[in-house]
Amino acid sequence: MITAERKNFDEIRKMTDPYANVLVAGCNTCVAVCLTGGEKEAEQMAQQLQIARRRDGIQGGVDSVTVLRQCENEYLDAIADQVEKADIILSTACSIGPQGLVFRYPAKRVVPAMNTNMLGYVKQHHVWTEYCAACGSCMIAATGGICPVARCAKTLLNGPCGGSQNGRCEISPEVPCAWQEIYDRLAALGDLDTLKRIIGPKKWNLSNSGGPRTMKKEGF
Amino acid sequence: MSNGQRKIERSFSRPVSGDKLKRPPCEAACPIHTDAQRYIQFVAEGKPAEALAVVRETNPLPQVIGRICPHPCEDACRRGQVDEPIAICSLKRVASDGAKAAGLGYRPPRPEFTTGKKVAIVGSGPSGLGAAHDLALMGVKPVVFERQPEAGGFLRTGILSYRLPKNILDEDIDYIRGMGVEIRTGVGVGEDVQFDSLAREFDAVLIAAGLSDSRTLPVPGVDLPQVLLAVPFLEAVNAGRAAPDLGKEIIVIGGGNVAIDVARSARRLSGGKLTMVCLEADYEMPAHSWEIEDAKSEGIEIICSHGPNAIIGDDRVEGLEVKKCESVFDERGRFAPRFCETDLSVVPGDTVIIAIGQMSNLSFLPNNGPEVNENGILVFDRKQMTTTRSGVFASGEVVTGPGAAVNALASGKRAAIAVARHLGVDVDFPHDPVAIGEVPADVAAKVKPAPRRKMPARPAGERIQDFVEVETGMPEAEARCEASRCLLCAAGARYSELKCIACLTCVRVCPYGAPWPDRDGLGGISPERCQVCGICFTQCPTKAIDITAKPEDQIAAEIEATLAGGGGELEFGCWYSQSRVAPEAATVILPCTGRLSVRLLLHAFATGFEKVYLAVCSESDDGHFIHGHRQARAAVAEAQRLIEDAGLDPGAIEIRIEPELKCKKE
Amino acid sequence: MKAGSNLEKVLESGVFAVTAELGPPKSADPQVIIDKAGILKGHVDAVNITDNQTAIVRMSSAAAARICVEQGLEPVMQMTCRDRNRLAIQADILGAAALGVRNLLCLTGDHQCFGNHPEALGVFDLDSITLIKMVREMRDGPVFQNGEEMTGKSPRLFIGAAANPYADPFPYRVLRLAKKVDAGIDFVQTQIVFNVGKFEEFMHQCRELGVSERCRILAGVAPLKSAGMAKYMKNRVAGMDVPDEVIERMSAAGDAQDEGIEVCVDVINRVREIEGVAGVHIMAVEWEKAVPEIVKRAGLKP
Repeated sequence: MITAERKNFDEIRKMTDPYANVLVAGCNTCVAVCLTGGEKEAEQMAQQLQIARRRDGIQGGVDSVTVLRQCENEYLDAIADQVEKADIILSTACSIGPQGLVFRYPAKRVVPAMNTNMLGYVKQHHVWTEYCAACGSCMIAATGGICPVARCAKTLLNGPCGGSQNGRCEISPEVPCAWQEIYDRLAALGDLDTLKRIIGPKKWNLSNSGGPRTMKKEGF
Repeated sequence: MSNGQRKIERSFSRPVSGDKLKRPPCEAACPIHTDAQRYIQFVAEGKPAEALAVVRETNPLPQVIGRICPHPCEDACRRGQVDEPIAICSLKRVASDGAKAAGLGYRPPRPEFTTGKKVAIVGSGPSGLGAAHDLALMGVKPVVFERQPEAGGFLRTGILSYRLPKNILDEDIDYIRGMGVEIRTGVGVGEDVQFDSLAREFDAVLIAAGLSDSRTLPVPGVDLPQVLLAVPFLEAVNAGRAAPDLGKEIIVIGGGNVAIDVARSARRLSGGKLTMVCLEADYEMPAHSWEIEDAKSEGIEIICSHGPNAIIGDDRVEGLEVKKCESVFDERGRFAPRFCETDLSVVPGDTVIIAIGQMSNLSFLPNNGPEVNENGILVFDRKQMTTTRSGVFASGEVVTGPGAAVNALASGKRAAIAVARHLGVDVDFPHDPVAIGEVPADVAAKVKPAPRRKMPARPAGERIQDFVEVETGMPEAEARCEASRCLLCAAGARYSELKCIACLTCVRVCPYGAPWPDRDGLGGISPERCQVCGICFTQCPTKAIDITAKPEDQIAAEIEATLAGGGGELEFGCWYSQSRVAPEAATVILPCTGRLSVRLLLHAFATGFEKVYLAVCSESDDGHFIHGHRQARAAVAEAQRLIEDAGLDPGAIEIRIEPELKCKKE
Repeated sequence: MKAGSNLEKVLESGVFAVTAELGPPKSADPQVIIDKAGILKGHVDAVNITDNQTAIVRMSSAAAARICVEQGLEPVMQMTCRDRNRLAIQADILGAAALGVRNLLCLTGDHQCFGNHPEALGVFDLDSITLIKMVREMRDGPVFQNGEEMTGKSPRLFIGAAANPYADPFPYRVLRLAKKVDAGIDFVQTQIVFNVGKFEEFMHQCRELGVSERCRILAGVAPLKSAGMAKYMKNRVAGMDVPDEVIERMSAAGDAQDEGIEVCVDVINRVREIEGVAGVHIMAVEWEKAVPEIVKRAGLKP
């Protein structure tokens, strides 16, 4: 799923303080599942802003509202009344959410409360880890079902660099070496020959590097 | 809460399933379906007046029932599957005692009789009073006719003051009178006023005449002057009329609750030896076990498995000849005693009181109906509460046979609805609640044990001297501990299928395995497993979960209401520890402070509090709920970060360790 | 001859080769390179010019390599995948070849988080193996990475790569080197060898797979300056294996720098006995002066 983290509160204050009426807009899909931007968090953020703004004597109100998915235009219709009253919308969705709000309510200022960070897998409760880089040309069939594009710090396609030690990546002992995982898995499956083949160079034009992508379901 | 309360209806919603009507088994088992759990919660929080108000929602005789009820609720109580049931009945009394001490809860409402209809009720026992009370609330004017000089029926004439003091009965009846219910005492229907004239004068008649006659025995010697019948005996004792000289040795025949009452009062009157004789073996006796224990503790001897053969004596009673009873019931469980006619013995005695049951007296009914069958029983539709005569209804023991006061009350309340419907009031018979299932064994093992608090009673040696109430009432601290043992059945986490996004957070955080993901990816929360700790509620990212007992909005409202009391400090207290951690602060009591969401903590500041204390268990103490104190600490840490970012001192939220959980220790 | 470089000639002749390392300055001053080249010239067969080593910005390896050429010291230009995409890499290769560079060491590059611009984008358009393949095809095709034919003079480069016998997973290390050989390398320089036993095992596997026949293997060595440096390398540098006895030797020494050189010489003496080792690569980072001494004590040159 898409994961996103709350921005620093000072940054949020700087974006919203100049405006009287703030609407915190939550999103009850990906950012709710990753526990950072759903209805609960949106309300908490509104409360927090309210406390801070009242303390600093800023006039105006902070309200919050949550839709099922900010990335779908139809869901945004339901909040028209609240949007109308707001001077600025602070979205706790992934960055698609505020952009969806911009499209639906072109006259409104919309700012993000979140930093969208990854397509994550839930390793355990409260822990997400990046498993997909949305590169546009999935190659995990050749790597034991483990993605080196997302999970290797250097996006290596042909085996681990010299910094792999004890199964950890050179960038941090917290980060597992994806290639060690790939190697272990292929060894367990008896498929190590797969690793003899040279893969790449990768077609990065299929990723965001090739420009914004559009996907169409054909035949409709 | 001031912000974010608007809910956005989904344009595309998932189907909503049923299964939301299950109720606590205490409520389901209660004949009048009192929401015991809700009043128990108020007792736990030290709010007896609020508790009494909950009792009164279904129970017009809260003080009476709080003393004499055989409490089927406690038999059903799921806490009994963990250790011992909650003392529900005693807590009901605590509610009324506490409210009374505070001068609250005894001012009756004054309903207007908007229907313009009036109903005659024959009999002022629990059934008649219950019907009158409920009819009054439905806008129908009730007039109760009572043959005895004082109202209350068997509550007054049959139950002794050591169990139910007269002033207590008076208070409950006065409350009903205060609602505009007219009770005409000393007016015997069939004697002072004819049934047909009632039927003419009133829009409906309810027969709630009870069982006013004692059954007797066809044995030799029954006509001797020292042979008494239970009902007139109890009437005399209750009326304070000069007691007959009972002699030094008294024999009571019978094994039911009335027989026990007769024995216990005769014991008090005579001060002599008291022997009960009953057909049943000790485990078969119809009297409640605790009544039997009380009687034994007062020195009453019980001879089981013996039936009366003859009362011995020429012009005065000298004893009772009994024969061995080999079995009371036949193979099909019907009453068919078999005796060994040769195994005879004599129990010496000066007086014999026969307490083998009561029967109705319907002699006041006219020939033109309602119809009485060949066994002398009123023909009756138990669903519609009707007799064969239009506009004439019946309720209570006169139609149900002997039972507990609460059953008579339930019958009267149903009759009130039947009568009101007959009179055009738009009201339906309620559905009987369905109870949730048993506590799974693995969950029961996770519930912290806590001993049941007993209702204190005067010592047996002292109480047999008089007719002063035996049970003395539970002290508030004990009562709060007892109330906090409640498992809050079926009042735990509920989730909205409309809002649930199947994120599995609740599944992962619940210590009791209550939520589960089903095949469609949609969650469910087992009411049987839920222990109402609230952890899932605090963490649900979409606010799809709330807790039935103290939902978030209610806690938020309590926070707001507490602020109105002045002072800038708030303590979130805990059911299980009665110690206050911030005695100067205003208080909102929760079952566990692990129930507090970050939203609620922030709400306290948004509302205007400047300092918030939480009573939390020490880290070494697992508290009442698994993970409860850890959840509280996590929520506090997050809220502290948020308020610090907002420019407040994070120390404005402070955890204070509770000295100990009083209610766990014994 | 694939490239006609001095290093290629030495290795092909079977003489035990010696390379060293020269780090370009964090400035635009050519004199730094001229001075370092002066120290090394005559003692080594070629010198590696590092490419933003450990992700710290320095003068470009192509420019520094050209300065070395002018000083008469043959450069091995290092090229990482971290800072350039395939267009920039190919352009720099063409430019470097035009400026007289004849050896190219193809590396993935240290992660940018270790350097002085940790917020930089890590490019990694290619990895070391696809880089090698690209360079080989530019030389031998000659074609660009996209398959387009190169008209005119192609870059004549002796292609090298790195190998680390001490990284994990160990069983894959020789396989990965073999993959680099398949991609087109002519020589390889290893990570610094302190643990000779493990290196012997690595070389054994290389021989088994025929890797040492298909490319020339130079064992990496380095002089330690102090016991502290030994410990730091053991504990903090990923992919380093410094045995405890080396640390003990350094700790016990009166003159640590001298002992460091002695340790280095001992390693050289041991690795040159291993079958398939074609030379050594001396990594005396910011201690170029040690190189002539090591070469002398080891009896390697000239």
